[in-house]
Amino acid sequence: MLQNASVTALRQTWILARNDLRQELRELELLITSVFFTVVILALYAVSFAEMSKSAQPKAVPGMLWIALAFVGALTLTRVFEREREADTFGALLAAPVNRVAIYGAKFSVTLLVLCVCSAVLVPGLMVVFPSSGVEGWSALEMLATVLLGCAGFAAVGTLFAAGLAHGGGKNVLLSVVLYPLTTPVLMMSLVATQRVLQAHPGAWDILAKIAAVDVILLIVGGALFESVLVGGAARGSGGGDSSRGAGGARAPRGGEVGPNMLGDDSR
Amino acid sequence: MSALSRSFGRPGVLLCTALVTFPYALQRVFLHTPIESEMGTAQKIFYFHLPMAWGLMLFAMISGVAAVLQLLRRSERAEDVAKAAGEVCALLGIGALMSGAIWGDATWGTPWTGDARLVTTALLELVFIAYLIVAKFGGPMAARLAAALAVFGALDVPIIYYSVKIWKTTHPKAQVVQSLPPEMWASLWPCLFAILACSFALFELRLRQERVGRRLDEAWLALSASDVAPPEHTAPSGRSA
Repeated sequence: MLQNASVTALRQTWILARNDLRQELRELELLITSVFFTVVILALYAVSFAEMSKSAQPKAVPGMLWIALAFVGALTLTRVFEREREADTFGALLAAPVNRVAIYGAKFSVTLLVLCVCSAVLVPGLMVVFPSSGVEGWSALEMLATVLLGCAGFAAVGTLFAAGLAHGGGKNVLLSVVLYPLTTPVLMMSLVATQRVLQAHPGAWDILAKIAAVDVILLIVGGALFESVLVGGAARGSGGGDSSRGAGGARAPRGGEVGPNMLGDDSR
Repeated sequence: MSALSRSFGRPGVLLCTALVTFPYALQRVFLHTPIESEMGTAQKIFYFHLPMAWGLMLFAMISGVAAVLQLLRRSERAEDVAKAAGEVCALLGIGALMSGAIWGDATWGTPWTGDARLVTTALLELVFIAYLIVAKFGGPMAARLAAALAVFGALDVPIIYYSVKIWKTTHPKAQVVQSLPPEMWASLWPCLFAILACSFALFELRLRQERVGRRLDEAWLALSASDVAPPEHTAPSGRSA
């Protein structure tokens, strides 16, 4: 039974992700903007740190990589859900007979894919601009694993909150407020892993295993909270009621999303 | 005490208790506790830093658990608890981080290091500041988004606690507290009691404010609904004006 549900959820995730990717491939809007933003950051790094000494490069470049990915990640997450908001399709998606975890999984997969494409530009670009950042013969496979795991952790948290803000009509600027404190642990661990990979440190896989463990926790918590955050849990008894508060600070007694929209600042 | 409770309520009693205990704790810390041999007088900040750090973790857990209940059961009461605890947590976090920085500057020679305990505590503080920002400006789904943040914040608490065991840290280990001499414990207890009593008083006050705010909103909505509803005996539209 549980196995069937998992297979169904995975199949739904694949269908939803494929739909998003098909939309993306028609216009390439998300990929073009994200990759262009990545290139701009890379160019700014190249101009700003052109005189960086060879000894400083191994310490600085991993930081540059993950700061750039954090910025690109926030841009990507905003855009992934902005499309749903513009077309007003997110509500329809939530109303569809689809497992909500599949929606989370699909959006997570698309975000991860875009971040991986940006990393494919960023990592070689940084190696070209700062050639002394790694020792001779560092492992590309380890770097691939680092980027994949680091981006997965970032996307796991980001997807939940970007979806919540997009669905509720919240301000996009809040995504950065939420995203960076929550993703700092995984970004820091990825930074340490990148330093180890570039230095061909034997302990690189140890930290990668830890990042993988953190990713699993973040994905489980993100997936578990997704439905509760977007749709709300089941009301229990007469004391239940959606406790959402309006943008203007007023609260509806049991009005779900209707109450807050009803009440604005002017209404008080 | 019951008369005091009737006049000021539970927060008033807690605040009065803190008001009495705090001067006692101060005189115990500065006049009756021996100066620590290695750190000197700077160690005195420990008696205020530790209760605030413990309070930070306690209120983060309260907020996280209440947020889970809020998300699962749509409980308004749980939302109020999560929010009030989140605010107290942010306040205690500022206190713990600032006192830690002052203590660190005096003993380590620097107010901040990349120590795992410091970083995880600062992250918890940032998460709860983000919680307050989202709760205020997050739009119609602010309450649920903020609740999800509180859940992630509560997940950070065990990491803070075990950080000194998992990583090599400059921060003193948890065993240091257990090995304190009795005269230091005698000073720590009043400080702990005063700071926690004050924190719980603030928590209770904010909880009451939230409940009163909710009742006011409900009353306001009921009033608006009665204003909007058409009178029972009115002329057909166009003539009623």
